[in-house]
Amino acid sequence: MMPSNYNTAGTDAPPAIDVEALALVFGDRAVLTDFSMTVASGEKVVLAGPSGSGKSSILACLLGFLVPAAGRIAIRGEPLTAQSVWRLRREIALVQQEPDLGDRSAGEWLEEPFHFHANASRRDHLSRLPDVLRHVRLPPGILAQKSGDLSGGEKQRLALVGALLLDRPILLLDEPTSALDADSRDAVYACLAGLRGKSLLMISHDTGRGLDFADRVVSLSPGEAPHGRA
Amino acid sequence: MGALDIGYAGLAAGYLLLLLPLGIMLWLRIPLMGATLIAVVRMTVQLLLVGFYLQFLFAFADWRLTALWLVIMIVVADLSILRGTRLCVRCFVGPLFLALAAGTALPLVFFVALLLRLPNWMDPQYVIPIAGMILGNCLRADIIGIRSFYDSIRKSNRAYLHRLAAGASHSEAVRPFLRDAVSAALAPTVATMATIGLVSLPGMMTGVILGGSSPLVAIQYQIAIMIAIFCGTAVTVVAAITLTLRSAFSPYGTLDPAIFR
Repeated sequence: MMPSNYNTAGTDAPPAIDVEALALVFGDRAVLTDFSMTVASGEKVVLAGPSGSGKSSILACLLGFLVPAAGRIAIRGEPLTAQSVWRLRREIALVQQEPDLGDRSAGEWLEEPFHFHANASRRDHLSRLPDVLRHVRLPPGILAQKSGDLSGGEKQRLALVGALLLDRPILLLDEPTSALDADSRDAVYACLAGLRGKSLLMISHDTGRGLDFADRVVSLSPGEAPHGRA
Repeated sequence: MGALDIGYAGLAAGYLLLLLPLGIMLWLRIPLMGATLIAVVRMTVQLLLVGFYLQFLFAFADWRLTALWLVIMIVVADLSILRGTRLCVRCFVGPLFLALAAGTALPLVFFVALLLRLPNWMDPQYVIPIAGMILGNCLRADIIGIRSFYDSIRKSNRAYLHRLAAGASHSEAVRPFLRDAVSAALAPTVATMATIGLVSLPGMMTGVILGGSSPLVAIQYQIAIMIAIFCGTAVTVVAAITLTLRSAFSPYGTLDPAIFR
């Protein structure tokens, strides 16, 4: 799939993600300068680029984990501020590249977010757990396993399971297949391709085979970005 | 009957006991001779000053002087904790003062007003030693609790951010770290309570016995002070962490790395 700067979703709803003139500086290093991008409602976008190009930092900014030096972020039309971020995070499900399960079992880790007040009305989503596990090729027995017994790839797929169970309108994925073998990666891509009505922003080193589910691939490769609208 | 007066001549003779450990240090060439001598001099000077000041306080029994001394004790404890935890003094000194004051005052009032039923709640002869015992334990608990709390969030930052991303409020996101920190801070007091009297006779009990009371009276004081200490440590650790949250986290809920020195 070739990188494209055109929004293909074409709906009247406000963009799921709207980033305007973002600047991000670490110390004296400018990671992003005047970077803009939009993910339309229901659109699936892959953000590709080499290490250090600022991909993960963009995700961190969208969740308020990093505060940009300049620029504006809006989630579903609402500006991201210190006040709104707590509400807007509840529109988003995050898949971390290396989830930290602590010393709990996988099942306990997956259930934990449903104890939060904000997710109380979604507790019945846990009944979909066997189905979602099957989609990403994880056996039900994995739920009893502790973090130390799980591979990096299994943890990544569990993170995706957790995000899918939350069933939020926006899905942010940070290199969700970096530790997966080809079969598991295809299963994850097939699972993402099957999502309907979700807006998706996925970070990936990989721009090759399997990303056909994406409407666009935005490249942060040196020379192509990281400035200007994508 | 009070405790027997050792007298300054007797105390001077007591220093002779130091010759034994100092001799061992010389024999084994342990490079602690200087530090030991400085520590002994500091201990002597500090305790002499405190002894004279407490004698003065007890003689006047003025509640304002007693309160001032309590405030000084809390400020010293406050700064010691921040030195021990290597956290930002400017950010934490105020909240920590309040946490120590709460952890000390609550069980202290309970002790002097309800247990001892003192007519004068600010009687320095009771208030200062009891507050000192509670505060000393609050200090240890706060060092363990605060350090454990902020270190574990820094170390498990991905897990913490995952909780925020999953929709947790700030208090929900920090809850497991708070639970682990309070548990770590209370564990030494719980262990002390479980073994008290078996391993050694505790300080307060020893003091009451030396003061001429019966061992049965002494254990009543000891049990009451252990419960007061346990209550104080629990209150101060929870208060210290809760009151420092605002200074330690950004409005977005992320931990401010500048709090670590």
